[in-house]
Formats: sequence, C-alpha cells, structure tokens
Amino acid sequence: MIATTLRRGLVYVLLSIAAFISVFPFLWMMIGATNTSAEIIRGKVSFGSALIANATTFFTQVDAVRIFWNSGVIAVVATVLTLAISSLAGYGFEMFRSRLRERIFALLLLLLSIPFAAMMVPLFVMFSQAKLVNTFAAVILPTIASIFIIFYFRQATKAFPSELRDAAKIDGLKEWQIFLFVYLPVMRSTYAAATIIVFMSNWNNYLWPLIVLQTAENKTITLILSALTSAYTPDYGMILFGTVLATLPTLVIFFLLQRRFVEGMLGAVK
Amino acid sequence: MNRIITRRGRLLGVALASVSLLSVAAASAGEISVWVWDANFNGNAMREAAAIYTADHPDVTINVDDTASQDDIRAKLQTQLLAGSTDGLPDIVLIQDDIAQKYLQSFPGAFEPLSDKIDMSLFASYKVAAATLDGTSYSVPFDSGVTGLFYRSDYLEAAGFTAADLENITWDKLVEIGTTVKEKTGHLLLDLDLNDTGVLRMMMQSAGEWYFNEDGSLNIVDNAPLKKALETYAKFYQADLVKPVSGWAEYTGAFTSGEVAMVPVGVWITATIKANADQSGLWGVAPIPRLDMEGSVNASNQGGSSWYVLASSDNKEESVDFLKTVWGGDVDFYQKILVNQGAVGSLLSAREGAAYKESDEFFGGAPVWQNFSTWLSQIPSVDYGVFTAEVDAAIQAQLPTIIQGGDIDAALEAINSQSQQQMQ
Amino acid sequence: MAQTRLDRRERINGWLFIAPALVLLGLFMVYPIVWSLWMSFQVGKGMNLSFGGFANIMRLTQDTVFQRALTNTFTFFIVQVPIMIVLALLFAVALNDATLKFRGLFRTAIFLPCVTSLIAYSTVFKSMFASDGVINQALMALHIISGPIAWFGDPFWAKIAIIIAITWRWTGYNMIFYLAALQNIDRSIYEAARIDGVPAWARFRYLTIPMLKPVILFTTVISTIGTLQLFDEVYNFTAGTGGPADSTLTLSLYIYNLTFKFMPSFGYSATVSWVIVLVVAILSFLQFLVARDRRRKP
Repeated sequence: MIATTLRRGLVYVLLSIAAFISVFPFLWMMIGATNTSAEIIRGKVSFGSALIANATTFFTQVDAVRIFWNSGVIAVVATVLTLAISSLAGYGFEMFRSRLRERIFALLLLLLSIPFAAMMVPLFVMFSQAKLVNTFAAVILPTIASIFIIFYFRQATKAFPSELRDAAKIDGLKEWQIFLFVYLPVMRSTYAAATIIVFMSNWNNYLWPLIVLQTAENKTITLILSALTSAYTPDYGMILFGTVLATLPTLVIFFLLQRRFVEGMLGAVK
Repeated sequence: MNRIITRRGRLLGVALASVSLLSVAAASAGEISVWVWDANFNGNAMREAAAIYTADHPDVTINVDDTASQDDIRAKLQTQLLAGSTDGLPDIVLIQDDIAQKYLQSFPGAFEPLSDKIDMSLFASYKVAAATLDGTSYSVPFDSGVTGLFYRSDYLEAAGFTAADLENITWDKLVEIGTTVKEKTGHLLLDLDLNDTGVLRMMMQSAGEWYFNEDGSLNIVDNAPLKKALETYAKFYQADLVKPVSGWAEYTGAFTSGEVAMVPVGVWITATIKANADQSGLWGVAPIPRLDMEGSVNASNQGGSSWYVLASSDNKEESVDFLKTVWGGDVDFYQKILVNQGAVGSLLSAREGAAYKESDEFFGGAPVWQNFSTWLSQIPSVDYGVFTAEVDAAIQAQLPTIIQGGDIDAALEAINSQSQQQMQ
Repeated sequence: MAQTRLDRRERINGWLFIAPALVLLGLFMVYPIVWSLWMSFQVGKGMNLSFGGFANIMRLTQDTVFQRALTNTFTFFIVQVPIMIVLALLFAVALNDATLKFRGLFRTAIFLPCVTSLIAYSTVFKSMFASDGVINQALMALHIISGPIAWFGDPFWAKIAIIIAITWRWTGYNMIFYLAALQNIDRSIYEAARIDGVPAWARFRYLTIPMLKPVILFTTVISTIGTLQLFDEVYNFTAGTGGPADSTLTLSLYIYNLTFKFMPSFGYSATVSWVIVLVVAILSFLQFLVARDRRRKP
C-alpha cells in the first residue's frame, strides 16, 4: 500500500516537473507578449502592461487577418488531403501485402530520409513551369502524399484486428466500405493524432513556403514572424504577441482532439 | 544541364497545369517591386525614396516588400536563379556588399549592368568596387557600413578618460583603456560573438587587406593584418574584457542595457542604440581603433548593402530611372534617411547636406555625421571576393582555440587548409 | 477458381488504395530525386557545372568540415534519440493510467513544446541559455555551478544545449504516438494479467512493449531521420553557423551552407544529401531488423 502511494506520489512529482519544464518557455512567451521589447531584453520574467501596445503594433505592421487566413487555408486543406490520401495508402500497404508492394514501401522509407533542401530546386522548376509559383496549391501539393503519415498509418493498422475485416467481408462489404465504415471509426484516435501532427507541420512549415510564396499577401504567419525576428531592431514584445497568436490554432486543435484519446478505444472494439 | 531541367520540367509542368487552383497575376507595367529586409531601416528608407519618385511620376507604383529576412531573400534568390526561373522575382533587390560578388559570378547575366546608365563616380568608390565585375558595375550603393567605436561616455568619464583619449588609438591602447574602465566602473569593455567574424574583418579592412589576393587566391598564412587582428582579438579575451554573447538579441542587449561600455560596429547600429531614448547624452562615437602596424588607418567598414536590378525585370527602365533619380542624385532624400533611420548613404554629394553637418544630442552634441562622412572617405577599398563566407567559417572554427591562447600560426594554417578545401 | 478471383481482387485493391499516394509521390519526388542524383555527380561553382564523376565523393573524404558535421550529427543521434524515446514512453504509460488526476493537463503540458513555434522557442531558448539567462541563474542558485556557463560560446555546452532543446521539443510529439497506440490496446488484457498476479513492471515489459512494438519502431525510425536531418534548431540557435567552431554543425546545416551561404556548390551539396540518405538507410534497416516479426502469421 505504502509502496503504491509512494510510487504514485513520485509519478505526480516527475510529471509535474516535466510539465513545468515543458510549459515554461510557453509561459515566458506569453509573459513576453505583455512586456516591451526593452524589458524582454533585460530579462524580465513577470507580466507587464504592454499587451495592448504590442497588439496594436502587431496589427498595424502585419495584415494579420490575411496572413492567418493564408496559414489556415493551407494547413486545413493540406491536413484533410494528407489524411485522406496517406491513410488510404498506409491501410493499403498493410492490408494487401505483396512482394512488390513491400519493396515499394521500403523504397518510400528510404525517400523519407532525403533532406528537403536537396529537392527544393527541381520542385521549384516544376511549379514554375506549371505557372503555379506563389499559389497555395504549390505549397500544399508536395506535402499531401506524406511518406511519414503513410508509415504511421501502416504501423497503426497493425493493431487493427483482422477479424473485423474478415467479419465485414463475410457480411458482404466491399473493400472501400470496410475502410470507410469499419476501419475509420475504429482508428479514431490514430486519425486524431495524425490530424494534430499534420496540421502542426503544415502550419509551421517554413522552407518550402518561403521559396514558393513570393508576395507579401500570400505569405504565412510562420514566414512573417521569422522576418520580424530578423530585423535590425526587433520589437520582441510585438513578435511574442504574434507568436502567441500563431500558436493558438494548433493548441485549439490539440485541445479538441485530445478528448478522442480519452474516449479512445477502451474496450469499445467489441 | 539546363536542357534536362526544362525538358522534364515541361512535361511535369503540363501535368500540373491541369490542377491549377489559383493563378498568378502578372505584374503590371509601371509597377516596380522591391525586396528588402528589415522594415524600419531598409524598408522605410526605400519607401521614403518611393514616395519621392511616385510624387513626380504618378504612373509608376513602387511596391516595397519587407516581409522576408535577409537569409530568406538570399535563399529565394539563389533557388530561383539556379532553377533558371524568374517568376515572381522582384525588379529591385537589396544585397549586402560582401556577398554581392558571389551572385554576380555565380549567375552571370542575372543582374542588369548599371554603370552605363548611372555615373558611378558619384558614389563612394569602395562601395562601387564591391559590385563591379570585369569593369561593369551592377549596383546603386545604399548604406555605408562605415564603422565607429560607439562608447558610453559616462563610463569613460567615471574611469577618468575623456573623448580625446579615444581619438586615433590602436586596438592595443583600447585594451589598456578597457582594463581601467573595468577596474573603475566594473563594466566589461565589449561583447563579442564567436559566431561572428565582423570585428575581425573590420580590423583587417582597416589595413587594406582581405582574405584574398588580387588574383583571387587565398591570402591567409602571410596575411599580417589578419594575424594581428586575431592576436588583438585574443588579447581582449585574455584581458577578460569580453562578455561572450551568441546571436543578435544577446549582442544588442549587452550594450543597449548598459552592460558593456563600448561597441565597435558599423554606423547602422545607430537606430538600435537610439531606440533607448533614456540613454541620450550618455553615448559618444570615436574613430575605430587601428591595428598596431604600418598601413592601418582609423577607418573601416562593416556590412552595408546596395540595390541591384534584376535582368529578368519587366520594368527595367523605370527601375533604373528610379534608382538614378532618387538614390543617385537626391541630396535632400539622403538628409531625410540620415535623420530618420541613421542611414549614412554612399552618395558623396549628400555629405554636403544640412543634416550631415548637424550635431547630435544623443551623442553628447558631437557632429557625428560629419565624422562618419570623413571616415567614409578614408575606408580602404578591398575586394571581398566570392569565398568570404567560406573563410569566415574556417576562422570561426578556430576562434575558441585562439581566444584561449592557442598558437596563431597554427590556427592560420588550419584556416588556410579548410578554406582551400572549401574553395574547390 | 474462387481463390484466384479473390487473389486478383486483393491485388487490384492493394494497388487502388495506394494509387493516389504513389501518383503524387511519383510526381513530386521522382523528378527531384533523379535531379538530385544527377547533381551529385556535378562539380563546379554556381552555374558553371560539369560532370565530375566521383570527384564529389573524393572530396567528401578530405573534407574536414564534412567530417565534423558527420560526427556532430551522429553524436546528436546517439545521445538524443534514446533519451527522448524512453522519456516519451514513460510519460505515455504514466498518462495512460485512467486513475491519475489531471491527466488532460499533464498531457497538454508535455505536448505544448511541439506546438510552440520555432521562432518563439528559439527566441526563448536563446534567452534562457544566455550567459545571464534563466538556466545559468537557476544552476547557480542551486549551487550546481559556480560561474555562468557560456552555453553557446562553448563547443561542448552548445551541443548539450541543443540536445536539451530537441528533447524538450520532441518528447511530447512521440508521447502522442505512444498514447494513441496505448489507447488501442484492450484494457481487459491488463485486467486479466493483474488478476493473475503479474506485477506492474512485468505487465509493462511483456504486454505493453510487445504490443507497442510497431509504433516504437515507427518513432525510432522517424526520430532517427529527424535527428540525422537536424536543421531548424542548429540554424536558429547559432545564426546558421553551426558554431562555435562547427561544434553544432549538422549535415543538413552544412548542405544549407553549401547551397546558400557559400559560393554555391549545388553538386557537392547534393552529394552530402545522399550521404544522409545512405546513413539513414543503414540505420533504419538495422532497426527494422531488430524489430522484425519473428513469429510467422499462420
């Protein structure tokens, strides 16, 4: 009894430390958004009164509505398409095995390791030829067949009980129906995790949008914030305010979806 | 090589065109787009110029895009020039002088020659030299990075010195002064970033030398100014006068917060220093110290950029005319950007303007702009070459050892061999 | 007869499911990769490129900077990935306990670092690891060190700072994957084992770990790739220099410098990219080997 309580206590303590370390920079960010740039540079770690001032500066200097809209559209469209295409593929690779397709999968994993910088120039050439430079399409298209997500869904599908599929087939369901009506509901928490990851990666995507987006009104918040930070005299208060704003969407999505983990699959498989 | 890109690219391009979701609006004639970094300094200066020009030429619109950092602009330019694609490239772009040659030589034909349309003798010669290749110049010089030793006059006074004590000194003398300042006031002298070779290059340029010889070959091992610069650099650390910093925020934070007493840097730091209005009257500017050797002067340069016109521009005529009219001749404009941004322009005649003769309250009522103008004309001209970044990296690799008292000659050898290796 | 028809349907479906992804990948990866491969045999600066055969590979062997980058990247990999995977697993298991209070809070807190944008996190960390930053202040207050550590001014400590930063950032990320997988495990198995008297650690070792194997393999491969391609942190924390003294220079940062900072050597930078691919291929293969299903399905 004492051992379990002690262990419990230890768990709480360690988790609290981990939580504090994890949250502290985020807290610092929020505190910074309420201070002036000078105060931040001097290392102030308490709340200040410059929030309104920072907000005003931010909204005057940045066309926030437009920029956040850009980031939002790109992230949402990319997430939906990525989940659709990549989960289909991950399921496909795992459910229907063949020697050839295994080899293809292995090849894909290899491709995952190629640094993006190596592919940037030819990709740009392609989009330039297609007259798609400076469009959202150019930002989204190369990302939606994500080997990473395909890999993830494949691994997650290994935990998908084959009896379910067998049972569904006996019931006469076609493959695509099995995917939509049996697999999808069962793998909800996997989709939830993937949504968070994909949304976040698209929202924070830097190098490719940097190269392919040309005009100020098409840029994403990530690009804008990066440029603001590289000014000769950066206004850190304003920048941190913008950063807090930029972090909100992903945070919201995480909050909404993390309940899915809770409602998870506790015995609901039966 | 290019054939392969276009052939395959075209095939795939056709495939992509069928999924076109948005289309790119072509830039309309009479609309000049400019890429700059930093909204306050470069951006505002360019916008000021644009306003002046469009007032006289209402059919022209100038669109200043300052939503990218300097690294971003470099990455975009380089990717597109390599891809051979000029979609969306601006008409005018700002490029820092020390990397200009890299672009001019890596991408021949990408930039529009300007020396046949604009008289380059109007500008400081060392700036023009940075953008000149095979006798043709490609830029309109913008801000000069003429250096000065910015110092806290209150700390200096407290240590028992006057402004005159900083006039035309050597770096070694500065070490002495710094030691006294530290004793009497407790403040460290400088803040230095091991990832930034700016101060070293400043020292080297003051003696008229650079990393390369005239024929482009490496000038490291027998480079006396470089060796002296490294020795001096080490001296500061050994005398424990340095606050080690990393990154721009920490660097500026150290002197704007009053932690360190001095900062040897290009004049463009003025805006950053002046942003702390409560420090008005507490700062002074002295000439940059020189190396204790023959040929070194109390004038040097750090940074500074120029405007380039891209050959792919649809609005070349207007762009060149704009640059020529405002940047190449409007003396009043240069007074404005001096006052507003602290931008010391490179147009020689601008120095005759009123603002340049003004004294500055912030710097204790001294005629700092006059001083900078004078030093500007003394800056030794050097050829930055195309491999400066490689040599910088090689030097950075040796700095930690050097500042701990390592053998400078051995370090120079190492720098030389790494640079050779990278220059293939 | 029925068997072949079933097989054929299986095969067609197999291709249909993966078709959209393959088409897109073919479009957006094949050409760039072939281009990159072609480039890796080119020598010359800027646009003056010519075929160089194996010259770039020879150059690799003599390139001290490349060697530094390779060593650094490996160091980061060997130290950071195991720490992060273990931490993430522990957190996931701890948070999977339905009776633990504040689970949602802990979960969100530990995931927060991933959501914090790169700009914020690099600004914050650079400030925290400054000579007079919070970390030094805390360490000195706890009497762990006597004087401030110049984190990013010292080749050794800079690496440590980067490792701390990466671990901080990505542990929550991996934790999410483990949590999702743990949620998919049927509770009743644990119940049965508990009733049978199997102790907690044994439940973990013999039930949890094997069932998590696919996702653990996934995260180790992904983390391997991520760390070997490490760029964002080192670029932002050291202003793109990989300093001090190339101590935090990674292969990706070297590639970036070769492409954008130095006189562009597109051919050579492509070659270095392929080195990353090769190393990842070997390491991933090894990981798959270790984790392969030894039991054959009946």
